[in-house]
Amino acid sequence: MAGLTADSESFADRLLDLGSTGYASWLDREPHRKLVEERRLPKLRAEAWRHTNVTRWYEAVLSGPGTPAKRTRLSVPAGVEAVDFESGRARELAEQRGQETFSLAAHPLAALNALLLGAGAAIRVPAGIRATGPVRIGDLPAAYQRVLVIVETDARVELIEEPSTFTHRLLEVVVQPGGRLSHRRLQAAASARECSLVAVRTAADASYELVQTSLGADLRRNDILATLAGDGAMVTIRGAWRLDESRHLDNQVAVHHAAPGGTSRQTYRGVADGRSRAVLNGRIEIAPGAQHSDATLSTKNLLASNTAEVYAKPELLIYANDVKCSHGATIGAIDDDAVHYFRSRGIDEHRARSLFVRGFLREAIDDVEAAQRLGVIQ
Amino acid sequence: MSLLEIENLHVDVAGQPILAGIDLTVAAGEVHAVMGPNGSGKSTLANVLAGRPGYDITEGTVTVDGEDVAGLSPEERSLRGLFLAFQYPIEIPGVSNMEFLKAAVDAHAVGRGEDPPSAVDFVKRARECAARLELNPDFLKRGVNDGFSGGEKKRNEILQMLVLEPRIAVLDETDSGLDIDALQVVADGINAFRGNGNGLVLVTHYQRLLNFVVPDHVHVLSRGRIVHSGDSSVALQLEERGYGWLDG
Repeated sequence: MAGLTADSESFADRLLDLGSTGYASWLDREPHRKLVEERRLPKLRAEAWRHTNVTRWYEAVLSGPGTPAKRTRLSVPAGVEAVDFESGRARELAEQRGQETFSLAAHPLAALNALLLGAGAAIRVPAGIRATGPVRIGDLPAAYQRVLVIVETDARVELIEEPSTFTHRLLEVVVQPGGRLSHRRLQAAASARECSLVAVRTAADASYELVQTSLGADLRRNDILATLAGDGAMVTIRGAWRLDESRHLDNQVAVHHAAPGGTSRQTYRGVADGRSRAVLNGRIEIAPGAQHSDATLSTKNLLASNTAEVYAKPELLIYANDVKCSHGATIGAIDDDAVHYFRSRGIDEHRARSLFVRGFLREAIDDVEAAQRLGVIQ
Repeated sequence: MSLLEIENLHVDVAGQPILAGIDLTVAAGEVHAVMGPNGSGKSTLANVLAGRPGYDITEGTVTVDGEDVAGLSPEERSLRGLFLAFQYPIEIPGVSNMEFLKAAVDAHAVGRGEDPPSAVDFVKRARECAARLELNPDFLKRGVNDGFSGGEKKRNEILQMLVLEPRIAVLDETDSGLDIDALQVVADGINAFRGNGNGLVLVTHYQRLLNFVVPDHVHVLSRGRIVHSGDSSVALQLEERGYGWLDG
């Protein structure tokens, strides 16, 4: 759309003109409309958008949905319930979820997701079952997508989120007491501008594990919020990425210890080449009363060219006095001595570098084959 | 033809002359020891042979089997049969010893115009070599030198040498950091490699490795030149008298 201005003021006007879709009409969109009316969408260079130009994403919103997938690629194993997000049953499941897993004020793009929503699903893993296969979420046939996953008490399931085209995807996850969800997320290279929010709430003794493996996009922003809401909950997040050309990846991760005795582990490994930009903001917040929380965050980054940019920022907000917390962040170049060591054994320089990078990323990858297929490692 | 022939080798590091005209000839089957005090240029000699960046040959030649290798990349030198056991082996977390060795063995096979060995054959061979160095099979699964003790790192270098079977191996202070038991094991590994038409250059500060691996020739390096050569008795003289008398 030529001559488009996408500053947040005129963007909000345009958005209100567009109105909202009729999809999932049961969804109360009043708070979302209000947020837009009150001009509370992120503005250019807002703190949370320091390294991603949000107006470039607004441009993508206004220029239409691009080419969303025509069909739904979603499958669930036997015993797991899946319904269209539009259905009355989805509404029931949303009620079962209770309060939303995130606050609209902290994640205002969710308002756009609600207003423009066109596809989605609600998935329930019934209490006590050990799913025989993974839940797979691939393409959904609209640019704005919403998925709700409820893992009931003591149930276990794996969720595989595969490459898909979207402008905004919102994935809400609730893991009830003793439940376990293992979430694998593969993000292919894309020319699209896309934002997503994964918002997770784990109850007592429940666990959530995310392994996210990413290439960059024209603009790719991943907001991830995990709340340890019950005693003894466990959250593990691993992220590996490899960016080249002028690709962009902005990961904003917040792990919120809201109850005592929770454990969280965050491990990120990234490689930025070409003129790419990689961002990792990792926040650990320990609420008052969340005593005996144990939280770690490690992010290590390789700059593979002198025109790539890496921003790595761990943040700790600790409001309890008996906790274990640690973080570390490094940014460095590929180790020339290591490359020479490989070469001295007959391994050519290209292969030496790719083996080195593979080893570097390995710590944040659990499925080597999938990461190879995606092209994050060779 | 000599296996390794170094003629009038001058090397600068960061613009500073370190080697000032080295001549050294190693024939097939021979073991040479290069000894010398700290700063005499021993490690520079080892590193320049392996093609380490930052070591500039300003004069002279290095040939392996008659071919000038000075202009070759480190990997090309390796494929031609030159091996350096590093004084300070590099840690590479996330890459297992097994992967590293397989990548090297495959590169050598391809360099010879052969198919890479099957995974089964390779693992069998790697395990045999590890056993010879009294290394537990789990050692092969660990990250390359990652968290290894000093002795394990040195044994790992010898493991790589045994697996790759180079024509000429240069061992840079492989004895340093080894306790007496480990020294014996490493020496046994070196002796197993010795002969078979291979050449060995042992670069060392001390004589003690040479009790276990007796060299055919000993050269003493001082200020970037070989100032004295002789048979294995030279090492014993150095042990008794130190290096001072050579500079006199």
